[in-house]
Amino acid sequence: MNAIIQNLSTPSHLPTTEEDELKGYGNLDEMGRIKGMQIPRVPDPTAFLNLYTDSMSSNPEAKIKLAHGTTTLAFRFKGGIIVAVDSRATAGSYIASGTVKKVIEINPYLLGTMAGGAADCQYWETYLGMRCRLYELRNKERISVAAASKILSNIVYGYKGRGLSMGTMICGWDKTGPALFYVDSEGQRLKGDLFSVGSGSTFAYGVLDQGYSYDLSDEEAQELGRRSIIAAGHRDAFSGNTCNLYHVRENGWEFIGNYDVSQQWYEYEAKKKAAREAASSEMAVEV
Amino acid sequence: MTAPGGSSGAYSFSLTTFSPSGKLVQIEHALAAVAGGTTSLGIKATNGVVLATEKKSPSLLLDTSVLEKVAPICPNIGFVYSGMGPDFRVLVAKARKIAQAYWKMYGEHPPTKVLVQEVAAVMQQATQRGGVRPYGISLLIAGWDSHRGQSLYQVDPSGSYWAWKASAIGKNTVNGKTFLEKRYNDDLSLEDAIHTALLTLKEGFEGQMTEKTIEIGVVTVPTAEQMQENSGERLPPTFRKLTEQEVRDYLAL
Amino acid sequence: MEYNGGSVVAMIGKDCVAIASDLRLGQQSVGVAMNFDKVFPVNDKLYYGLPGLATDVYTLREQLRFRVNMYRMKEEREITPKTFTHLVSSTLYEKRFGPYFIEPVVAGLPSPTELDPHPKPFISTMDTIGCITTPKDFAVAGTASNKLFGVAEGLWEPDLEPEDLFETISQTLLNAVDRDALSGWGAIVHVITHDKVITRQLRARMD
Repeated sequence: MNAIIQNLSTPSHLPTTEEDELKGYGNLDEMGRIKGMQIPRVPDPTAFLNLYTDSMSSNPEAKIKLAHGTTTLAFRFKGGIIVAVDSRATAGSYIASGTVKKVIEINPYLLGTMAGGAADCQYWETYLGMRCRLYELRNKERISVAAASKILSNIVYGYKGRGLSMGTMICGWDKTGPALFYVDSEGQRLKGDLFSVGSGSTFAYGVLDQGYSYDLSDEEAQELGRRSIIAAGHRDAFSGNTCNLYHVRENGWEFIGNYDVSQQWYEYEAKKKAAREAASSEMAVEV
Repeated sequence: MTAPGGSSGAYSFSLTTFSPSGKLVQIEHALAAVAGGTTSLGIKATNGVVLATEKKSPSLLLDTSVLEKVAPICPNIGFVYSGMGPDFRVLVAKARKIAQAYWKMYGEHPPTKVLVQEVAAVMQQATQRGGVRPYGISLLIAGWDSHRGQSLYQVDPSGSYWAWKASAIGKNTVNGKTFLEKRYNDDLSLEDAIHTALLTLKEGFEGQMTEKTIEIGVVTVPTAEQMQENSGERLPPTFRKLTEQEVRDYLAL
Repeated sequence: MEYNGGSVVAMIGKDCVAIASDLRLGQQSVGVAMNFDKVFPVNDKLYYGLPGLATDVYTLREQLRFRVNMYRMKEEREITPKTFTHLVSSTLYEKRFGPYFIEPVVAGLPSPTELDPHPKPFISTMDTIGCITTPKDFAVAGTASNKLFGVAEGLWEPDLEPEDLFETISQTLLNAVDRDALSGWGAIVHVITHDKVITRQLRARMD
């Protein structure tokens, strides 16, 4: 009997004192380590979270919404790395925002892209930025893209099955030159020259593959990235609004511009029409 | 058996076999049944239509208040007949169903012409289908609709139909029509038409004409005010039977 | 509804009505066509829109075309907006237990008659199985219906002249579909007046 009473009156974890709370920031301790994410104290946390998470817009009742529709892409070429993303956030078929920043500026040399859970990407890539800075201070040199992306993939692997949702590309320039890694919340990490992630990725790949070459000029590469996002924004209902374009060079990334998808689409159409008319008038002359 | 084509010849039983002279003899017989029926008539006026009929009772002991020869089909249309009473009741039941089906589909009552066509189709079918006989009645159909206004139709057992300004069917057809031709003009009011109807009925009426021995139905035209008031709503009924009291009053005049 | 996407809106003005739709035909998230008109004429005073499942748009349109033509021949007159609404409703309810995935919108100007010389402009909507509503201001349907309600509630005012009604319905549609992932990709507007129908395609966002 006493044992039972004691069991009930003792909290299952020790309450943090006011003093403990003041050390560190949020859930980071004074050393910058994560003190441990609170996980629902139920027998099966994963099942519990699934109940309240709307991952594929299939559970609109759920309170935790994950932004799903997206088009992001990045590719390596001789002039560095082009990163282009759209800016639409949807909740079901509702366009919740058209001005989302899906490129996360981790530090002046590293960019991360956002697909899947917006909060997951934002939080962990910001945290990655912190870890990269600590590495830089400890080792007196910048972290390689390979190492940075591995930190991220190791973290998310630790949360595998807990409902994290992210499909990201870590882009940067290190001693090895331009480097590009794909990391997702399943724990997958891939090195590659060209990636596109999100619901509009198939459309982006279509344009990207037909125009890609490692030897593209800076202008050509930027135009290819932009054109791919416009194509995806046009076709995919869950992508669009605007395109954000970045170029990573040896001295860090540069923001190239923000382009209205619809406006750009009309411009491309006008160009196509002009080209068609020019072609047909040439033919008329030949005949 | 007598010669083919005669009333009891080889062509008189099969409904769907033409006689060599091009007649369907059963239909002729049906028309004969109509011609033997009590007189009914209808007159179209500038502001309505009147239907009137003689209600003959074969016996003094019969409670005639239950007999109904003028029948409302839907709020804007009414029937009267000459010929066989049971056939009329069947046709009225069918017509009421047709009117309700129309209402269900379109949210309004059928225009007179549409109902006439539907009923005529039913009657025509009875001249062509196996196992049935033609209806032994002719109908006078009076109605009002927003498209064509008030109208008066006659439908025969063959399924033929006509629009009339005034018509009579049944026993006194010939005399009745002759009388109506003399009395009818294009600017008859409904009140005038009711009186004309009573006078026509009186021609060759057997016995005393009282509120018990005749029936009258009228179609009135809704006023613009009524339409405005009920715009979008259900219109007030435009067809109604006159009460015995009303008939008595008309007879007294 | 969400399979192909698409939206329709109708509005009442002063002696005129307007009906407009987007032009997108999608297959879930993928845009397939940008010329999928969902608004059809019955006659030059009566139009209707059929947002919903594209295959049912065609089927229902043909079914209604058939029934209106039969009506025309039988009755020797043009069908009124109100009667047409009932016809659509009956047609939908026939499939009560396996409905057409369509939410129709009807907009028309009833022709003046002797007894009703000044009939009011008419709009109506139905759910998928034919429950009729006849609003006095505007009617919306389709995947952007929530957004259309919001914008229309803010922009619509009574007794708009045809040109102002055109502007109001156009802005309502464009701004509503810009918040809907499954509608858009072009828009078309019809304004019905007693002497003509004004039809215009709008330059809309294409993403």
